[in-house]
Amino acid sequence: MRDVIVIGAGGGGPVVAKELAAQGLDVLLLEAGPRNAHPRENWTTYEDDANNPLTGYLRWGPSDRSKPAWYREWPQNSFVWQLSGVGGTTQHFYGNYPRAYPGVFEGYDGADKSGYDVDHRFPFTYGEMVPYFEWVEATMPVMTAAMGHKEQTFFRGAETLGLPVQTTKTTHHPAYRPQENAILQPGGTAGKTADPKLLNHPQATGCTFCGYCFQGCMRPKGAPRNQFAKRSTDNSYVPMALTADVWARGGKPVTLVADAFVTRVHAEKKHGVLTATGVTWRSGDVEHREDAKVVVMSGGCTENPRLWMNSGLPNPNGWVGRGYTDHFFDWVFGVFDDYTGNPKGVGSSARLDYPPYGGLENVGLPPALAAFAGTLSDSGIRGQYKNGRGQTGPWDGPAGRVMGPELKEVLSHGIDHLLSVLVITDDDVEAQNRVTLSALPADENGPIPKVAFKQRQRTARTLRNREFMARKAAELLRGAGAKKVYRIDWAPLILHVQSSMRMGSSERNSVVDPTGETRAVKGLFIGDNSALSNGLGGPNPTLTSQALATRTAENIFKTYFGGDPWVRSSAPVVSTDPRISVRLGQLGL
Amino acid sequence: MARAGTLSRRAFLARVGILGAAVGSGGVLARSLLAPADAATNPLLPPAVDLIRPVLAELARDTMNGLTVFAMPGPDAYSRTQGTPSRTPGAIEAGATDFIINSLDNFVPFPDELAQPIGAALVTGLADSGIELPGLDVLPVQLHSLDKALAAYLESDEALPLSFPIAGLLNLMATQVNPLAVNGPHLSPFARLSYAEKAQAFELIEKTDADLVALLDVHFPEPLKDSVSGLLKFVGGALIEFATFGAYGESAVYDKVRRTLRKRPVGWTATGYQPDGPVEGWDDFIGYYQGRQEVHD
Ligand SMILES: Cc1cc2nc3c(=O)[nH]c(=O)nc-3n(C[C@H](O)[C@H](O)[C@H](O)COP(=O)(O)OP(=O)(O)OC[C@H]3O[C@@H](n4cnc5c(N)ncnc54)[C@H](O)[C@@H]3O)c2cc1C
Ligand code: SF4
Repeated sequence: MRDVIVIGAGGGGPVVAKELAAQGLDVLLLEAGPRNAHPRENWTTYEDDANNPLTGYLRWGPSDRSKPAWYREWPQNSFVWQLSGVGGTTQHFYGNYPRAYPGVFEGYDGADKSGYDVDHRFPFTYGEMVPYFEWVEATMPVMTAAMGHKEQTFFRGAETLGLPVQTTKTTHHPAYRPQENAILQPGGTAGKTADPKLLNHPQATGCTFCGYCFQGCMRPKGAPRNQFAKRSTDNSYVPMALTADVWARGGKPVTLVADAFVTRVHAEKKHGVLTATGVTWRSGDVEHREDAKVVVMSGGCTENPRLWMNSGLPNPNGWVGRGYTDHFFDWVFGVFDDYTGNPKGVGSSARLDYPPYGGLENVGLPPALAAFAGTLSDSGIRGQYKNGRGQTGPWDGPAGRVMGPELKEVLSHGIDHLLSVLVITDDDVEAQNRVTLSALPADENGPIPKVAFKQRQRTARTLRNREFMARKAAELLRGAGAKKVYRIDWAPLILHVQSSMRMGSSERNSVVDPTGETRAVKGLFIGDNSALSNGLGGPNPTLTSQALATRTAENIFKTYFGGDPWVRSSAPVVSTDPRISVRLGQLGL
Repeated sequence: MARAGTLSRRAFLARVGILGAAVGSGGVLARSLLAPADAATNPLLPPAVDLIRPVLAELARDTMNGLTVFAMPGPDAYSRTQGTPSRTPGAIEAGATDFIINSLDNFVPFPDELAQPIGAALVTGLADSGIELPGLDVLPVQLHSLDKALAAYLESDEALPLSFPIAGLLNLMATQVNPLAVNGPHLSPFARLSYAEKAQAFELIEKTDADLVALLDVHFPEPLKDSVSGLLKFVGGALIEFATFGAYGESAVYDKVRRTLRKRPVGWTATGYQPDGPVEGWDDFIGYYQGRQEVHD
């Protein structure tokens, strides 16, 4: 019998695990996918080897790469890009850590307050969230991003839009700025040389500008795991969780089990109230079961609803899996005569926030991913067919796939003469966008999830916001000097995931109550992006999700273990702490 | 849909490409293999399943060649047929066809429960298109043998390689767009299309809904039926995205054992990506915007 079992070691699970381990609880952390404990031995920097969603070392699938990926159904042209493995989807993320916009919280009273998804706010105030933001920002740590050429190009364009520069953590109004990134900024030789002999730790510290964030960060070479530049949870919260005894007084290291796919959450009536009692998981063909006082679901926005349904847990208001938000991304890129530094440095280090419409960020990509990004569209093929869409605007020609001869011409101009802008939409929580169980055959872990996004039938506000931000992206690229600007009109590319098990004040349209506990099952909490109340207005979700998970960890400790909260009364330990590095070394990690 | 007669049966097999790949000019099978006299007299004749397997494999490969040059044309014959030849290496040189076939056949976790009925539909479907099939005359006996071989193959325990129904789908669409594509250079109708016609074929797949599913005339058990048209939309998009990803990626020259590259990938040369190969870092750090290294509320 454990104190707490956490399901999933992605963006959220390790946060709950680390926080409760620091309080001395006995925590079991179960992860469905592999543990990439020695990335230098298993990883490369190649796109197909890393990112092929079917076969790559960063995929949604089992550890054994000769086995197929795990199957999911999505009944539309779209792509759900989540990863299994310790670190979860943060293994290939970019570490962009902006805070949610204040306008998505209860009690917001700004002039633009009616411009947000007012029916689906967080059930507490932005002010209440701030200490949790600060706690995570200090733990990671989050830093103002350094500038490379692709940022310089982005800023050149942003400067033409008549917007101010944001110099605060909180976004109060439309503005642009360097990203606040969960990335250790370059120190020593890092960022200043391409000579590999000069890029070993500790001569180089922090980000070396290698440009391989999407392939997983294992730099600088020779650094201890908790001092790799990018603060994916496998480099930050997981090392902390495993070493809680050395940096937290009374801390107890978390037990981490990889290749452990949870197939069932158990619950039974206790004193007439349905209460979680434990979980069953599969390792290979062997089933295991353990019980715990508290169970935390952190399997992500797609798997949590699946696990809930496969466990036969009640869903009285029908909102399990509903209200999935994805920032309804779009992709606009420019071709430049000048060098843009596109595939170098962190995936993104510059952004523009535009509440209450959404935002923009620059994104650097290597060739195969750039080609993929240029051909994922709901608008057919430019110059050939429009699939009923093909919007026109300040970009060149109709929106649609850039492919075949046109793609070759664009990319042959030089991958480092492109600049891509990710269009991020402040999208509404909508019941129709949801996870259900698929009618297709089950896999070894049970019936599979079906992720439905009705991209063409989204709310008027969502559609308007997307068009608005796509125009801003094109204007920015023109301002930066692009000779040609393309809009792809992406089919849903589901990378930013939120709110499929949402927290809310109303019993009618939320799964989780304002403390983070599920309404239907006591002792069962949600600790990841799926608990977010909405799409945050557009900011990348992980900081807010981790802040919320920290708050939920406090609530678990208070409610079930009689403890006191700690965020307002103590100082966080930074995840790069040398004590953690030393212990990782002793553990052979 | 009309009842299957010899004529419509022939048309359908021609449209999914099987007939041409089997017995068209350049086809994989000697016509005599399909002559029943041989079967009776020649004990060395391979069993039907072995007869049809290479036909389907070659057909799939040819179709996928047509697809990958659609994603990234080069100096090859398929790009020429498509009408967009290019002097610099393209998808064929990048090994994108192997990439896509390997992905489809070995890694797409596509349930057999769906692949099987789609595959079956593609060889037993009853699409009577009334299309003339110049140059593809086959004797009823040959057709019959081919059919028997296909049926035997589908009934065997062998998992159906996904590249086969996918190729069938592309070829069926190809002949919808241009009926004359049943005949010509290459083995498959899809590879015979122009660039614009290939785009039209994808337009049909992406539009999907009832039309295509009806054309396939696949009898999926409920509740799978609902999933099929959505799935086809996904397949249409994914084929394009995967073909491009494969064409610009390193898979063909990647040495899995040594975890290094045997050669510089075509996509790297085409785009100028990391001219000296993988790096530990770049000297691209300019400084901090407006000199600001920290922000506070
Ligand atoms: C390309 C890309 C770039 C991104 N960049 C950014 C960025 O810069 N900033 C940002 O804030 N966000 C970014 N994101 C989003 C970010 O990755 C997510 O916000 C974050 O990973 C979500 O955390 P999570 O815990 O909800 O889910 P995940 O990280 O997906 O973790 C879920 C984990 O649970 C495991 N799991 C699932 N089901 C089970 C089960 N039944 N049993 C056991 N384990 C299970 C999974 O294997 C996985 O490890 C990016 C995403 C992508 C795809
Ligand atoms: S660019 Fe920086 S953060 Fe990204 S992988 Fe390289 S070293 Fe890590």
